[in-house]
Amino acid sequence: MFSHQQFLWYSTVPSTNDLAGALAERGAREGCAVIAEAQSAGRGRHGRVWSSPPGAGLYISTILRPPTHALSLLTIAAGVAVADAIQRATGLDCQLKWPNDVYAGERKLAGLLAEAGSMEEGDDADDSPRLRYVVLGIGINVMPAAHPADVAARATSIEGELGRGIDRGLLLTELLVSLSARYEELRGGHPQDVLSAWRARSASTLGRAVEWDAGGPRRGVADGIGDDGALLIRTEEGLERVISGEIRWT
Amino acid sequence: MDFDDIKQILEMMREHELAEFELERDNVKLRLKKHSSGHWVSTVPPQGPPHPGVAIPAPPTAAGAAGNPVLTAAEDELELAMVKSPIVGTFYRASEPAAKPYAEVGDLVKKGQVMCIIEAMKLMNEINAEIDGEVIKVYVENGQPVQYGERLFAIKPVNV
Repeated sequence: MFSHQQFLWYSTVPSTNDLAGALAERGAREGCAVIAEAQSAGRGRHGRVWSSPPGAGLYISTILRPPTHALSLLTIAAGVAVADAIQRATGLDCQLKWPNDVYAGERKLAGLLAEAGSMEEGDDADDSPRLRYVVLGIGINVMPAAHPADVAARATSIEGELGRGIDRGLLLTELLVSLSARYEELRGGHPQDVLSAWRARSASTLGRAVEWDAGGPRRGVADGIGDDGALLIRTEEGLERVISGEIRWT
Repeated sequence: MDFDDIKQILEMMREHELAEFELERDNVKLRLKKHSSGHWVSTVPPQGPPHPGVAIPAPPTAAGAAGNPVLTAAEDELELAMVKSPIVGTFYRASEPAAKPYAEVGDLVKKGQVMCIIEAMKLMNEINAEIDGEVIKVYVENGQPVQYGERLFAIKPVNV
C-alpha cells in the first residue's frame, strides 16, 4: 500500500477527478484518494458524461506521481487492478477492452479516466520532463440503476450480473490493494506480470473488429497488446500498432 | 566555436540530410533546425545557458544583413515561443468535441495555462503555455496524431 495513504470520502461530489486534480495541484501526496458514492457531474473521456446516480456505483480518484518509465503502461496496469479487484471481492469474471475498460460479457462494468497534470522540467540526469501528477479516476457500476437509456443499453453492474448483493467495503479494499501492487510493479520496472495479467483477461479485445483513423480510415482485427501496451491490430497490410486516438469497436 | 565550425556542421547536415542538430560544448548550446521550406534557423532553447545563441551564417542564397545573420524569413519565428508535443499521441484542442478550444489564434495566454490535451494510452496529458503571450499559430488540427517534439502552437511573448 501507499504509505500514509489519505482517503477523502464523500456521499456526493461533482467529480472525483476534478477534486483529486485540485488536491494534486495543491501538493497532495501520492496515494491520496477521493471516494464518492455519487457524482453530480461525473466525467468520462472527451467530456462524455459518466452516469453516477446515488448508490449505483463506487467512484474513486487516486493521485499518482509516476516516474516517466511507468507511464506507458499505467492505464493498462490500472485496468488489470480494477478487473482483479472485482473478481477477488465478488467472484465475478471480467475481461478487459483495450486499454482499460472492464467488461462482463458485452457490457461495460467499469471505466477509467486518467488525467495528467502538466509536465515540469525533469531533475533526472537526462533532464527529460516528467509529469507532476496523474489523477486515476475509476468508476465501477455496483448495482443496477436508473442510467440514461443509451448508457443502460451498454452498461451492466456487478450485482446485476451476480444476482446478489456485494460487500462494497471489501471491493474498495481489494481495489486499493491491487492498484497499489500493480503500480509498484511498474514503478519497480517489472511490468511483465501486469502484461501477462492483462493478456489473460483480453477476451473483450481479442478478435474484435476495430476501426481507427491514421490519416484516413483504417480497419482491422484486434490481436492483443505489445510489451509497451500498444494495441496490435491485424490488417490486410500487416500488424499495426495503435497507442492513441479514437478506436471504434465494430 | 567559430563560423567555420558552424559552416562545417551545416555542410554535414546537408550531406546527411539531417533536419535537426544539437550540440552542447564549452558552455555553448547550439541548435540548428531545417525548416520545411529548406532554410536554416538557429533557436535558443528557452532554458538554455545564458549565452545569446550562436549566430548562424546565412546560406549563400540568403540576403542576411551583417550583424543580423539569421534569415529574414525566419526572423519572426525566432521571436516566437513554440509549444511542442512532449510525447507521441493524439492532439485535442478542447476538453470535449463540442467545447470551445483551450486556445485559439489571437488569444492572450498566461504561463501555465492549458493549451491542449495530448492523449496516449488513454492518458490525457495537459500541455501548458511556458510563457505569457499571444497565440499566433496553431499547427495541428484537432484529433490528429502528433510526434515527439512536433510544434503545436506558436506564442508571441508579451511583457506584462
